[in-house]
Amino acid sequence: MSLSRRDGGEIEALITDRYLDSLLAIQSSPQLVGGPLGSDDSLSAAVRAVSLRLATDLPRFHPSFRFEERLALRLAEVAASMRLPVAAGAEGQVVPFREVRPGSPDPLRPAGDEDDRDARPLLIGGAVAASALSLAGAWLAWRRRTSPMARAIRAAHSMGQPGGGV
Amino acid sequence: MWRSGAAKDAVPRIAHLDRDRPLVEAAQRDPARFDALYRRYLARVYSYAYYELGDHHAAEDATEATFVSALTNLHRFEERARPADGEGASTFRVWLFQIARNEVAGERRRARRRPVQPIGETVVVDPLDIEAEAVRRDEARAAWQALGRLPGERRQAMVLRFVDELSTAEIAGVLGRSEGAVRVLIHRALKSVARDMGVSKRSGDGRGSAS
Repeated sequence: MSLSRRDGGEIEALITDRYLDSLLAIQSSPQLVGGPLGSDDSLSAAVRAVSLRLATDLPRFHPSFRFEERLALRLAEVAASMRLPVAAGAEGQVVPFREVRPGSPDPLRPAGDEDDRDARPLLIGGAVAASALSLAGAWLAWRRRTSPMARAIRAAHSMGQPGGGV
Repeated sequence: MWRSGAAKDAVPRIAHLDRDRPLVEAAQRDPARFDALYRRYLARVYSYAYYELGDHHAAEDATEATFVSALTNLHRFEERARPADGEGASTFRVWLFQIARNEVAGERRRARRRPVQPIGETVVVDPLDIEAEAVRRDEARAAWQALGRLPGERRQAMVLRFVDELSTAEIAGVLGRSEGAVRVLIHRALKSVARDMGVSKRSGDGRGSAS
């Protein structure tokens, strides 16, 4: 194909393209109907006629409403699953603790549960205070709950006499 | 208003605006907002798939796969609009139809592997037989049949141009061709359809002796 012939074809294609731009703009905008539609004589009448016909006659199909809603639901599910990792991680999010004033009952504690206070696991964040309380409690318990025999042994130790000397 | 000279050069050019940009950005922030894009493009993607596959169920499958793929990969989408793409062009739309084109090709391959009924060699099955209640005009049937006899890329370019109303630049993006190549593709397709439909060179109304 010669260069001039090829260029001629491209120019013709360009003119057709411009014509289609105006034609489709008119088709999609009713207010433009009746407006100027590129009356370039260099455009083949057959191309012009078939373009008009295709623009008018080729329908755009729409799927059924049932399909549309079913797919919308599926997309919503996919979208929800995409959002889930963000919600589950929640890194860096500060969770406010409810303020508990001295003397007020522990709101998290079930009724009739007064006796097992020390047995409850402690939340992270109260660990330091809990440790101190636990040591003090253990010391008191050791002091109070030792048997008479144990107290005798301890007294003997304090006197510095192995075997007692009593 | 633009000023001339250096002042004009100092002002940055207004970037080309993708008409879908606000919806795309909203959906990228929150996938639940993808619904707006889905509703906007459902009929277009479905039509493209329907014209290409000629089967209602196959078109639905391709449409579903297209939108699910678009949603799950939306975070990868980057707008690459150029001023040359024209006013109102959408790179999202190009991206979406690229996905649709791949899904339609996949659907076609699957149909070949498990043909339910003989498939025409290059002729797309006429969906107007199914949609006869909706589209009764013989002209539409003739136009459809003429389009269906075109070879693959010409037919795709014609459907994208006339049914989905994409610009030449957008079609070039979808097909992976240059704009000039798409213009020639469409021009030749029109001449071919005109011959096929019996639209004569002297025809004024385009209502030639259609088959």
